[in-house]
Amino acid sequence: MFRTWAARAPGGLLLLHLLLAGCAAPLQSERLSPSAFPGPVELTTVPFFPQEEYQCGPAALAMALDWAGKSVLPDTLAPEVYLPGRQGSLQLELIANARRHDVIPYVLKPRLHDLLAEVSAGNPVIVLQNLAFAWYPKWHYAVVVGFDLERDQLVLRSGLEARHLVPVQVFERTWRRANYWAMVVMPPERLPRTAEETPYLQAVVALERLQRWEETSAAYRTALTRWPDSLVAQLGLGNSRYALKDLTGAEQAYRTAANRHPDSGIAFNNLAQTLADQRRWREAEAAAERALALGGPHIDTYRATLAEIRARRGGTKPES
Amino acid sequence: MDKLRRLSKPVIHVVAVGVLALSVHLPPAHAAIVGTEAVVSAQQAMQDRSRVQDLLNRQDVKEQLLRAGADPRQVAARVDALSDEEVHQLAAKMDSLPAGGDALGVLLFVFVVLLITDILGLTDVFPFVKKPVRR
Repeated sequence: MFRTWAARAPGGLLLLHLLLAGCAAPLQSERLSPSAFPGPVELTTVPFFPQEEYQCGPAALAMALDWAGKSVLPDTLAPEVYLPGRQGSLQLELIANARRHDVIPYVLKPRLHDLLAEVSAGNPVIVLQNLAFAWYPKWHYAVVVGFDLERDQLVLRSGLEARHLVPVQVFERTWRRANYWAMVVMPPERLPRTAEETPYLQAVVALERLQRWEETSAAYRTALTRWPDSLVAQLGLGNSRYALKDLTGAEQAYRTAANRHPDSGIAFNNLAQTLADQRRWREAEAAAERALALGGPHIDTYRATLAEIRARRGGTKPES
Repeated sequence: MDKLRRLSKPVIHVVAVGVLALSVHLPPAHAAIVGTEAVVSAQQAMQDRSRVQDLLNRQDVKEQLLRAGADPRQVAARVDALSDEEVHQLAAKMDSLPAGGDALGVLLFVFVVLLITDILGLTDVFPFVKKPVRR
């Protein structure tokens, strides 16, 4: 026991140091120049749902969803995301629930700059705040719908206030105590301004699990407008169309993927499968052979694809 | 009772043979579409790794490591040995560090030192670091 303590003590001291340094770290807003985000911005089309007690999570999500074109009332959301035992909602519940309403939830980087960039781009941002202290937390969700840095103000839909005005630094302190958690919910046709390729595509892939293929297909197409060379988006588009039984569309997407990424075995394997489903055996076999030659972690699947194509074709050639 | 036992015997045989046949004939992999999730996970893992290695390749970080008595090359090798999930958690921790400002140097130093000492099994701050077994 003593040995463990002795071994941990230096780490503990360093951790304490880390925490203290964290508290003393300057606010991001101190380094923010108002000229980076000129002019007041306010998204007036975001509706306001005054919240019942503790129901700020469902209310904030409902406002953002309504903006995204999915009309839903907080009362409908409440039983889905509100946890009576905790008198609140967890971030993961909000994310999962947003997905069930066919939008892409995207969690922002923990940066004030990114939050303001989203609002400037017209996207309301759901934020988690701790309105009290770290040791006596009072968690709260609100929606940032505008700002005016000249006047040192953020505009929030919060609680019972449709336009809650709060000084930037005060907001940042409450937001920092919630680890700068912020999220936008986007229609599949629209990208968050600050979106990065991999995290965005991961958010879309999560929608695949709910089999919302129309939405994922649209979102991958949107992603390709900003990242035309994204292999994931191109394959995702093909996979979504394949799931929708749009074999021609899937084939087209996989062909583009294979052309742009000639070293991707997955592109050729999926192309082979799609061609086989159209009974175009010769082309299918060529694509499957290409996948097998490229190899990689999915080589067993490629091998099975090729074997199945040869078997279905009539078994004229033995498997290599 | 005896009759029941005699009757049940052929049933058991049939079931046993059936189960065996199933397990023998199940192919090791199915011909299929490879899902998007596999592709995006691989991409994420690659980016996480290169971000952590980029950090370790920074000159100031290397200097701090040397000052702490750790060989940067050895540290990089240890990071290579972490699983994808562990590297992802590490990269996520890097995101949550405040960026810019004077605090960065201090934080970075403390963070890196803690990581290294964790890897070497001296501390236990990060639960995801594999600890060497002490005997």
